Amino acid sequence: MRSLLLRIFVAFWSIILITIAVAAAIGHSYAERTRIALQNFEVGDAVLEASAALQENGREGLTDWLRNLPGPAEKLFYVVDDKGKDLLGRRLPEIVRISLRRFGDRESRPKRAQRDQPNLRPARPFTQLIGPDEREYTVFVVPPHSVRAKWLADRGLGGLIVLALIVSAVASFILAQTLSRPIRQLRSSANAIAEGRLDTRVAEGVGKRRDELGLLAADFDRMADELQSAWQKQTELTRNVSHELRSPLARLRVALELARRKTGDLAELDRIDLETERLNELIGQILEYSRLDVDSAERLSNIDLGELLHSVVDDVRFEHGYPDSGVNIEFDSEDSCTINGFPGALRSCFENVLRNAVQHGRNGGDVRVRLGIESSQAIVAVEDQGGGVPEQELAKIFEPFYRLGSKQGPARQSGLGLAIASRAATLNGGTIRASNHANGLRVEIRLPLAT
Amino acid sequence: MNAPNAKILIIDDDRELGEMLAEFLAPDHLDVSACLSGEDGLQALRDGSYELLILDIMLPGMNGLDVLKEVRKGSDIPVIMLTARGEDVDRILGLEFGADDYLAKPFNPRELLARIKAIMRRTRSNERREGSVSVGTLEIDVRSRRVVAGGQSIRLTGTEFELLRCLAESPGEIVSKEQLARDVLGRRHMPYDRSIDTHISNVRRKLSDAGVDNPSIRSQRGVGYLLLVDEHGS
Repeated sequence: MRSLLLRIFVAFWSIILITIAVAAAIGHSYAERTRIALQNFEVGDAVLEASAALQENGREGLTDWLRNLPGPAEKLFYVVDDKGKDLLGRRLPEIVRISLRRFGDRESRPKRAQRDQPNLRPARPFTQLIGPDEREYTVFVVPPHSVRAKWLADRGLGGLIVLALIVSAVASFILAQTLSRPIRQLRSSANAIAEGRLDTRVAEGVGKRRDELGLLAADFDRMADELQSAWQKQTELTRNVSHELRSPLARLRVALELARRKTGDLAELDRIDLETERLNELIGQILEYSRLDVDSAERLSNIDLGELLHSVVDDVRFEHGYPDSGVNIEFDSEDSCTINGFPGALRSCFENVLRNAVQHGRNGGDVRVRLGIESSQAIVAVEDQGGGVPEQELAKIFEPFYRLGSKQGPARQSGLGLAIASRAATLNGGTIRASNHANGLRVEIRLPLAT
Repeated sequence: MNAPNAKILIIDDDRELGEMLAEFLAPDHLDVSACLSGEDGLQALRDGSYELLILDIMLPGMNGLDVLKEVRKGSDIPVIMLTARGEDVDRILGLEFGADDYLAKPFNPRELLARIKAIMRRTRSNERREGSVSVGTLEIDVRSRRVVAGGQSIRLTGTEFELLRCLAESPGEIVSKEQLARDVLGRRHMPYDRSIDTHISNVRRKLSDAGVDNPSIRSQRGVGYLLLVDEHGS
């Protein structure tokens, strides 16, 4: 029983069922005691006592007698005066009222019936007493069954049990639901935050509850606020640092050119130039990476994946000196497909995956790019011939600055390319995955097709 | 090339960079003045006769894009903007607001020099150019640098005009991006450089805003662009 909903439901339900069972047992024993008391109680004797009390003390005596009847029997006897009122002023049970209506009191009794058939008298299932004041008192003995109990009894024990089960199950389920729903909402929000959607909040969904769950939701939201602002600060810091690094870098490059003019071309100056370019590249990548996370300024638009891939492939070919030299990039596009996404981020994603493939596959051979469609997803697969990656490191290559094992030595790649690709894929609602094929690495990007 | 010294204005809040650029560009007969803020830069543009403006997009106070908009209200002066690398939005908006070219900062100063020369060569040669081209419903007047469709003048930036003129010289034929980059921007087409595409999409938008559907600019995937004229069309 893992689900909280199920646990609470079962707990409440069993508590309710146990309560019902205990109540039934108590009721049963009470009814049993009443039955035994009544068995020992002689109705005839009681009526004689009532008659004696009436003779002795009139209406007062009869009322006292009724009031002093032993426990369970008190509820069985009703004494109705000639005005149709119980002596103790109790509300008359249905069955008594029916009898009264049927037989009436002496004055209103149908005289016609007597006249027509004087030898017939309606059966009287009750005793009539005449007091010293010549007034008539009717004593009713009501059997210990109420109308409702009869209705229930008609449906039998099985029906009762089914009814109890249904009612208690529904009540327990509703109760369990009100407890577990906000918890499930909290859970899905926590997951959303873990997936990077830091603007997720729960208070709206949980509603304006004032209880502990409402407080928990408020606390959760406060935590999310803190997390979001900490993350924003960190991202901003990264961006600002990178931006600030550009100014000295820009001056450095001008200074370098001025130096070149004065001293002529020196190998050392070329080296400084190269390293400056690398530094610049790295800062560019850090900025790109951090930008992919904050709310992108790009607008969503429909993108023809085939066209975009074509132009990325062209760029990468061009960068590597195609067609005179460089690697051979093969591009197959079976289907034409359109997705709805951020064009800049998507281009950056493909660019980085492809450049990575070219970089690692350089001495290994060709790079294959394939675009296909599978169950409402566009699949872009990039395969290189670079020998692949150890299985246990496959997932890690998408982490920033991750460097492959020891044999690789000091990598020339900054190690942000695939991290950028991964973030860009996620930003576009897609996934990215790496696997090994025969001779190299295969990176697969799946993107939901535009509907 | 013994052209007279050309006056160039740099608007960049990095004072030292401005000074070093002035030193770097001086041997090429480029006379560089620097302003540290957008407001000062606009004032200097009104006072002096500059041939080219180098504008940093990231300025304290008045933003570089606002400066560009202000400049474009009354002047056709060629503008090269300096953008933060990878800030595509800045680049696209900058080209849309009428910048002629852009460079990501930190840039290679030799590249900056090459682009300055390319733009100046183009503007100076245009002054000598004559005549007008007519394609479809478009009338392209090279001398006054005006494009007219159905009596209505379409406002294009210098680079956009050059692109359209270049395509209109051989309607129906594909002009490669390499050629467009060489003829219009005066430089080699570089990988990952989307400026031709951005300029083209600006021209397309302006044409369609003016209700021009003949001629239309078509793209040939991975090759270049062509101006398609429907002879039987309206």
